[in-house]
Amino acid sequence: MTRPPNPLPTLLRTPPMIAVGLAVLLLLLGELVRPGFADYGQVTNILRIAAFLGIVAIGQTLVILSGGEGIDLSVGAVVTLGAIIIYRFTGGSDALLLPALLIALGVGFLIGLVNGVGIAWVKIPPLVMTLGMMGVVKGLILVYTGGRPQGATPPVMKSIISDPWVLGIPGDVFIWVILGVGVTLLLQRTAYGKALYAIGSNRTTARLSGVRVERMLILTYALSGMFSALGGFVLLGYLQNVFINLGDPYTLPTIAAVVVGGTALAGGMGGYAGTMAGALVLTLVSSLLITLGLPEFGRQITYGLILLVLLAVYGRERRLRG
Amino acid sequence: MSETLLLQAQRVSKRYGATIALQEASFGLRKGEVHALLGANGSGKSTLAKVVAGVVAPDGGEIWLGGQAVRFRNPLEARAAGIAVVYQELSLVEDLSVQDNLWLGHEPPARFGRVDARAARARTEALLGLFEDVAGPRFAPETLAGELPPDERQLVEILKAVSLEPRVLVLDEATASLDGRQVERLFGLVGEWKARGWGIVIVTHRMEEIFRVADRATVLRNGQVVGEVRIGETSREELIGLISGEASRALHSAEARASAPARRTSPLLSLRVRRGRKLRGLELEVYPGEILGLGGLHGQGQSELLLSLFGALPGQDLSLRLEGQPRAFRHPSEAMRAGLAYVPGDRNREGLLAARSILENFLLPSWKSYHRGPLLDLGQARRAALEVGEKLKLKFGALDDRVTSLSGGNAQKVVLGKWLLRSPRVLLLDDPTKGIDVGAKAEFYQLLAELRAQGLGVVFYSSDDDELLSLCDRVLVLLEGRITAELSHAELTRDRLIRASLGVKEVVSGEP
Amino acid sequence: MTLLRRLLAQPYALALILLILGLVVTALFQPAFFTPRTFANNLRTYLPLILLAVGQTVVVLGGGIDLSLGAILTLSSVVMVQAFGMEADPGPLRTFGGVALGLLVGTLAGAVNGFCVAYLRLQPIIATFATSFIWGGLALWVLPQPGGNVPTVLQDFVRAYFLMPFSLWAVLAILLAWAWFLGTRWARALYAVGGNPQAAFTSGLSVERTRLGAYAAAGLLTGLGAFFLTADIATGDPLIGGPLTLASVVAVVIGGTRLSGGAGGIVGSILGAVAYYLLKNVVALSVFNFNLSPQWQTLIDGTVIVLALAAPGLLRLVRRQP
Repeated sequence: MTRPPNPLPTLLRTPPMIAVGLAVLLLLLGELVRPGFADYGQVTNILRIAAFLGIVAIGQTLVILSGGEGIDLSVGAVVTLGAIIIYRFTGGSDALLLPALLIALGVGFLIGLVNGVGIAWVKIPPLVMTLGMMGVVKGLILVYTGGRPQGATPPVMKSIISDPWVLGIPGDVFIWVILGVGVTLLLQRTAYGKALYAIGSNRTTARLSGVRVERMLILTYALSGMFSALGGFVLLGYLQNVFINLGDPYTLPTIAAVVVGGTALAGGMGGYAGTMAGALVLTLVSSLLITLGLPEFGRQITYGLILLVLLAVYGRERRLRG
Repeated sequence: MSETLLLQAQRVSKRYGATIALQEASFGLRKGEVHALLGANGSGKSTLAKVVAGVVAPDGGEIWLGGQAVRFRNPLEARAAGIAVVYQELSLVEDLSVQDNLWLGHEPPARFGRVDARAARARTEALLGLFEDVAGPRFAPETLAGELPPDERQLVEILKAVSLEPRVLVLDEATASLDGRQVERLFGLVGEWKARGWGIVIVTHRMEEIFRVADRATVLRNGQVVGEVRIGETSREELIGLISGEASRALHSAEARASAPARRTSPLLSLRVRRGRKLRGLELEVYPGEILGLGGLHGQGQSELLLSLFGALPGQDLSLRLEGQPRAFRHPSEAMRAGLAYVPGDRNREGLLAARSILENFLLPSWKSYHRGPLLDLGQARRAALEVGEKLKLKFGALDDRVTSLSGGNAQKVVLGKWLLRSPRVLLLDDPTKGIDVGAKAEFYQLLAELRAQGLGVVFYSSDDDELLSLCDRVLVLLEGRITAELSHAELTRDRLIRASLGVKEVVSGEP
Repeated sequence: MTLLRRLLAQPYALALILLILGLVVTALFQPAFFTPRTFANNLRTYLPLILLAVGQTVVVLGGGIDLSLGAILTLSSVVMVQAFGMEADPGPLRTFGGVALGLLVGTLAGAVNGFCVAYLRLQPIIATFATSFIWGGLALWVLPQPGGNVPTVLQDFVRAYFLMPFSLWAVLAILLAWAWFLGTRWARALYAVGGNPQAAFTSGLSVERTRLGAYAAAGLLTGLGAFFLTADIATGDPLIGGPLTLASVVAVVIGGTRLSGGAGGIVGSILGAVAYYLLKNVVALSVFNFNLSPQWQTLIDGTVIVLALAAPGLLRLVRRQP
């Protein structure tokens, strides 16, 4: 089993670094096709859009790492619900922002908890369970808002999230980086993270080594719901406004971002740094496609193809043997 | 001579990694003959049967079928050539009816892709009729295979092979789950099939069956054929002698045991199973500073016993005491916290996180104790892992390398080492040296002796009788979920171990 | 009594109970539902989902799942509409050619899914999720905006009434075809491959070919569903099929077919599909009768769906307790 020598050092061959390389390549390609694509202002804008996707994809990363065909299709709906709760509960009041944020996070956590219970105990396949939950959350949103969300965005959110902190880089990019560090620490430097990789890698081994697999799953889906609600908070700060299907366009790209970042759909391998790079790549692809004038259908097909190709590269099942 | 041979294996060899399963084994099956393959655990008898059946491709040697050299790439090719195998592990589709299972893949055809239901039904009834009066009322064509009890499923499995009208029928431990009357009927049928000119290979551990049905027997030991005998011209004693090899190697083990600490203080762990999965009423006690061996043939409930001790098979009717205190472990994490440790039999499926690093595999059960505030103290975790790695003489590149970069023996050290990090009081080992090289084995034995000296209680299942003989203070022999013998001191000899494994009655269990 | 007991022992008992429940409640609160015309109209709107559910059943029996059936339906439908052109009577070539083309597209899309799953060995859930964006994107490309026309011949055809409504004939035809299929060796192969692929393999069956066939058949059935839907609504819509994917899975689950494959059948799925619509109708009725705001309907629908998905698992949990 000798491998052929590879000119690139090992670090540069890890999927996150490949994704970063891809991002740079896409940026240069964009600049070639449309001069001005890689301007400073443009790049900060791409970073900010990538930040939304990246934050929403935190939960997706955790859930996919947990293995067992783990996936969360309710993230988009929970993003919307989180944003709407803050929008309506504060009614534009800065003072109410903190309690509103906590409520939104709590609701997201609870929704995820239900997902987790359905998956871990009732053994509903994650994709089916969370797809069903997406419908429930959309129903909740409709009931809560009566179809037309009332409220306002607290002004302080604009200065936290939308306004530039330094060098013209808006707050959400910094929030994303801080969250990125936090999530990476959660995964690499806590017993939770280690157990998450363990159940994603091999649930039998994990159980026989004392990991409570079901509890881990429930907690993980709950965290996914919470991070999605947090994504709603950030998105609200940027848009200053909400609508009924605010978060919907984020569901699929979060999965794609996780996969592009090299996290195995089989679970147990990968990390959030990869997802961050993946979010950048997808945002760049998407801006590039828009710049090139590719309509909606082209973007959909491109996403589908990217997912399929990456699946074929990373996520094959084993062959049957006699 | 050779034209009377239906099937012939010539100097067949097979190795799995470092283990030699078969070494230039030869064997010939005549037309209209029942030929038994005999041997202790790991003797290579199953491997030889699998090579003949095309399930396992040999590394060397030749297979001749009806005077022609053949090379099967998969079981289907062997089947097409007229060799049918009755598998030990059931291979039925539970949600299909008995009839559909029997004919799966070779249904009697009618037009437009349809199955000739009438023909299938008639043939099914004819086949089931062979066992009708020794099976329950649900043993019928339309019953779903999953609804049948294990013995009747095994009968379906046998009939599925028979439905192929093979030239060679391989029965690999096919009688293990059958009752006496069913076995009797099967052997009656074997006589008929023999008369039709089929060659029948039978792998079994039941000594009386061999004398009941076989014409000849090939005995294997350590992957080599050590004898071929005509059953009519041999005795039970002679066969057992051939299976176990030299009269006794117990001398060496008696020496090792002489240094064993005096036990019979109070038991560290005691278990009483009334009824469990695969276990049918048994009791055992483990003392501190003792290595308690579990012997017997594969799959007699040894793994289930270890898993029950570790709380990994909840919902069984059993009671467990640890240092005299009644305990009920509902999850391995509870057993783990009480000081138990378990090394599973299937390293890759149950013991390792293949995708993760050596470090993470080592620390998996103990991460929580390395938390300093919100974060883990990775430095300390690394130091602990390195320390255990050194103690185990682990050969590795870096702690962050994938655990799959290790050799089998070193990977097994990681599986063991993760528990040593927790300083357990009881160590449960499920065939821990399977498939690891000699050097690693020797190191493992050394370690086991050290742990015993430290006062740990060890429950040790091994498929290698030599290990049981040389390492254990006491050996419990399991057969079909029961303890059939307790061997210690002078009674712990290879001969007695093998007799007890085979269920040969002469040896009375040594319960004090 | 014994008949009742035998019915309750069927895997589709849950679907049957829900169906009867739905019928009773509907009969009580909306007697007009059962006038021949209304009944026939309703059955006609159920037919596409019934076909999708049957297709989904075939795939699930073989051990897979197809989350792109809704998208395939859409694609197949818009292809038909574009082929028909705008005239009320485009002539037999365009009329029947259009239908054939739509069916072909459906079958091909199903076969592509099957290829990804069986030969590329991608995880069915994620792979078909990815392809759903490809089919959906293609549908948007074929017909960017709702519109188009369906020949009157076809519209009349699906509204035909001969002794009983056309839809009932269609269901009868499906059941007859299924009865024929169950007598073939392909049926045994399908159940074996889904129930125990290893056993199927050692019995000499081609697991790959069987899976591919199942997906292609589902594609064809989806194409048929697209035909009925298109002829019914008499126009094309590039987003029509989306919600039907989850609905088809729901119908399969409450119909008693095991999601892990190898056990179940289409009778339960057909009952499940009808029960699904009746339950939706009951929800709508209750929302109306209890003077709830219409927003509640989405929420209750979603909740009912999740509960239905959880029902088999919950039953299993309850049975294991005592």
